[in-house]
Amino acid sequence: MKNTRSSIASSEGRSGGRSSWKHSTGHLTLHGRGVAQLLIGLVFILPVYWVLVIATGHHGDAYAIPPVLVPAMQFGAIGFVLTHTNIVHYFLNSVFITTTTIVLVLVTGVLAGWGLAAYHYRGREALFMVVIGVMMLPQQALIVTQFNVMFHLGLLDTYAGLILPFGASSAAIFLFRQAFLQLPESFWDVARLEGANVFQYLWRVAVPTARPAVATVTLLTFIVSWSQFQWPLIMTSSKAVQPIELALSHYMASFSNNWRDLTSAAVIALVPVLVIFAFTQKYMVKAVVGEDRGVTE
Amino acid sequence: MVLEKTRRRRPGPSGTANTDRTQQPATSPGEPQGRTAVLTLDREQSWVVRAVRPLVGYLLVVPALAIFVTFFYIPAVMLFVLAFYHWNVFGATTFRGLGNFYTLFNQPLYWQSLLTTGYFVLVMVPLTLLVALGLALLLREGVRQARGGFARSLIFLPHVTPLIATSIIWVWIFDPQFGLANFVLTHLGLPRLGWLEDPHWAMPAVMLYTLWHSVGLYTVLFLGGLAVIPQQVVEAARVDGAKTLTMFRRVIWPLLSPTTFLVLILTTVNTMQAFGQIFALTGGATGRGGGPAYSTSTDAVLIYQTAFTYYHLSLAATMSLILFVILLVITVIQKRLSSRWVFYR
Repeated sequence: MKNTRSSIASSEGRSGGRSSWKHSTGHLTLHGRGVAQLLIGLVFILPVYWVLVIATGHHGDAYAIPPVLVPAMQFGAIGFVLTHTNIVHYFLNSVFITTTTIVLVLVTGVLAGWGLAAYHYRGREALFMVVIGVMMLPQQALIVTQFNVMFHLGLLDTYAGLILPFGASSAAIFLFRQAFLQLPESFWDVARLEGANVFQYLWRVAVPTARPAVATVTLLTFIVSWSQFQWPLIMTSSKAVQPIELALSHYMASFSNNWRDLTSAAVIALVPVLVIFAFTQKYMVKAVVGEDRGVTE
Repeated sequence: MVLEKTRRRRPGPSGTANTDRTQQPATSPGEPQGRTAVLTLDREQSWVVRAVRPLVGYLLVVPALAIFVTFFYIPAVMLFVLAFYHWNVFGATTFRGLGNFYTLFNQPLYWQSLLTTGYFVLVMVPLTLLVALGLALLLREGVRQARGGFARSLIFLPHVTPLIATSIIWVWIFDPQFGLANFVLTHLGLPRLGWLEDPHWAMPAVMLYTLWHSVGLYTVLFLGGLAVIPQQVVEAARVDGAKTLTMFRRVIWPLLSPTTFLVLILTTVNTMQAFGQIFALTGGATGRGGGPAYSTSTDAVLIYQTAFTYYHLSLAATMSLILFVILLVITVIQKRLSSRWVFYR
């Protein structure tokens, strides 16, 4: 603190005019800045918007020059994809995999978070490091030997193989541990006095007070699990268990330049994400950013 | 007391047992009595209970630990063994010593993949850093207002969209004939490009997609970093007459360095491990990935191809081990450097 202050004070002297940091980036007026912000936001949203435009557009809209900007709101292609492909099946697979993973992550997270927060035993800190250390392992370097493990456990091509490995999350355990450390110890003492066991206490007292952590973990797990692609690509071969992202990559091969059907399939995969994002955007931004911050700190 | 309150708010499934019990503390309420009761509780415990209780804490971690060990730590350890063996999933293993490394280093494709990865990382890291910082500076004011928050959400949204679902539209954007990218280029008076079908332009196309998909995350990280810069320091510098550029170089940039460092590590590690978008954009249609003339076959993509298209698991494990070590070394070096130029308050 001291260092910067003195260096700022000595830097460049007092020659400057009245320009301030606050006004510095603003040759733009406040109004102009608002417009610029909005324009950039729109540029980023444009590709997602275009998925909707082409999916609900007329036949051949994808080949129009100049590009079509307004959706024609024709839902024929989406209807076709829903009825003539197995996308509903893949969609339900994804729903099943995602929900089960979220439940598992919450359960293992609450248990381990409590186990690492409330008890004192030898090696607890080491155990915590082992739990957090998983985040440091580079996923791409593990996939080959993970395939070997999955083969020997007989988990290839099963739902369990898509769910179980992601049924525990360092971030979840970390968040729940943080939340449980905030709880006064007397709560737990009182609960024991009344004859409650650990699970009753967790379910009735600890988890309800840790609702923000539950929400964060649910959102994070949803995003990761719904977007799962590489793992099922490698670990499954039958359509029975595959999730929607993998189905989309199959469609990219089989529909190759049929943009209207392809984007319709993409819309079906995107809708849950967009809807949930629309309702939880602030929490979701916080959850994802908080997680990445946690990785290195 | 507190438990009682909580219970009243959300009644448990066994109603009768609850009412039965809540009557008990009602006869003896009050803080001090509760405390003595806890003390007697602890004293009454036998040594068995006291010895076993910590074990419960350990047992609660076991489910998560089992998953981590089975699916992450064991594969990581196996890497250090299997990289030196000739093996397949059925277990036929012969020790090859450094044989796998010898074979690998004689593959021009492997060296090419390392160069491709280097190209990808060396462009993406500074580019992402610059764009994210620029966007953060632009969005900084008004983020707390609805308008700025809205723009921030729009920039962030791509980051949570699934890679394949959004890659589909980007394949169309990069379509040489009808795509938006060439439409924009021709209107700017520039030549049309082959993009994903051109060995020279496939990688830049992947970079554009990756920037679009990930920059929102880093922008929000920078916004967080900017928000915690103490206003007094900025005011003090302003009073001393620091101009825009000086202000940025001498005040904002040093105070932002922890965030910059975080973004640096994250972009490096994430770009080195990019897979889904490369697979989908360049060769998702063939189910192989890697682009024309292997132009987008980064290390991660080549590991996938070697293991699961050519079923050469031994070589793939060797490549994985090298990637593992490279990422470890990069992280350590960055940590070292950070102590030199990151300014922690």
